[in-house]
Amino acid sequence: MNNKLNTKDLITTGIFTTIYIVIFFTCGMLGYIPILLVLLPLICPIVTGIPFMLFLTKVKKFGMVTIMGLIIGLVMFLTGHTFVPVITGLIFGLAADLIFKAGNYQSFRNSVIGYGVFSLFILGAMVPMWVMRDSYFVHMSSSMGTEYVNTVMALTPEWMFFVLIIIAFVAGIIGAFLGKSVLEKHFKRAGIA
Amino acid sequence: MNSEILQSSNTISNFKIDPRTKIIVLVILNLMVFGEAPLYATISMVSIPFFLLLFNKRKKVALIYISAYTLALLGEIFLVPATHGILNLLIVMITNLLVRMMPGIIMGYYLIVTTTVSEFLASMEKTRIPKMISIPISVVFRFLPTLIEEIRAILDAMHMRGIGLNLKTVKSPLTVLEYILVPLLINAVKTGDELSAASLTRGLGNPIKRTHICEVGFHIQDIILLTISVAALIIFLLFK
Repeated sequence: MNNKLNTKDLITTGIFTTIYIVIFFTCGMLGYIPILLVLLPLICPIVTGIPFMLFLTKVKKFGMVTIMGLIIGLVMFLTGHTFVPVITGLIFGLAADLIFKAGNYQSFRNSVIGYGVFSLFILGAMVPMWVMRDSYFVHMSSSMGTEYVNTVMALTPEWMFFVLIIIAFVAGIIGAFLGKSVLEKHFKRAGIA
Repeated sequence: MNSEILQSSNTISNFKIDPRTKIIVLVILNLMVFGEAPLYATISMVSIPFFLLLFNKRKKVALIYISAYTLALLGEIFLVPATHGILNLLIVMITNLLVRMMPGIIMGYYLIVTTTVSEFLASMEKTRIPKMISIPISVVFRFLPTLIEEIRAILDAMHMRGIGLNLKTVKSPLTVLEYILVPLLINAVKTGDELSAASLTRGLGNPIKRTHICEVGFHIQDIILLTISVAALIIFLLFK
């Protein structure tokens, strides 16, 4: 067995990345309601857990999850986020990949923790809200109107960021368990997992 | 849209643009519409996909796009400061979606329907982007329309069995999610197997350098487009 990614792996990665992106952005639309913007790190990882766990059954080599994170980051950059998701996608994708590799892409415990880590990349879209707070909200009010911005500002005090990290990680773990149960219920029986 | 995805480049007019130009224009266009660019610079960028679609005989999409964009822009300028409360949120939601997202989506639509996978891969190989990045990205571009088509078909089928957006589904969102995601994923895995079989037959898995039958390269139209985009970007950066 050679460890280099072949064309079949790359195509599998592309297909699951597409599914992830479509589901992710459908959930992301909920962010137009101010309260749900803060809850996005909770909702998205849970829903995307199902395709991701199926994707993991196809991953046997190092690098596929990293590429997935990178491409998701690039797509987020193209659809109007800052460049930060590209970096976080790469970093957390790589970290998740290392965790999966430590479990030889077999261990269930590693895949749960790895998906939790991978889910943290979503914070890349939210980091500017704290780091470049003033300019970010000025930019936001020009596009979303001042009422939306005032609501969001009230919802995001500084400590919220650390809460969100924990929320995203926990949501990733819940999503992984959900994905696992769907996997057992449907995909194993259909013979594609 | 379905028939358009399967078309190869030879049915489209000879007004060809290099995939790299399209991507650069897409990136700059997105930077401009989301940033705080002067209005005239944004409008000159926003009209690029309109003209491109017009030259590629997609008049209907082009006209719908430009009229919807104009309406949304006027709405954002005049209606948003004048309204309050829920109505304001609603108008902000709609105009923001149209003004910020639509130019990028239309440019992306143009990119997808006029670029064949082989053209894209050829241009990526010319720029020496590693296969590990270019192949998954080309799959994403190629597979996205198919996936949306598939989701629509699944929603139709589920609607026939009474599973859709109604009161019952609000009570059990997870079940609905399962009913939609499971067939989608099973389909996607099958499509993936077929796609990799097809591309392996075409020699995508070969380690040696591939030759290409389609010609990619920068021509006069690419240079014009790039000049406009870069000029708009410079104006955007200077007057920020």
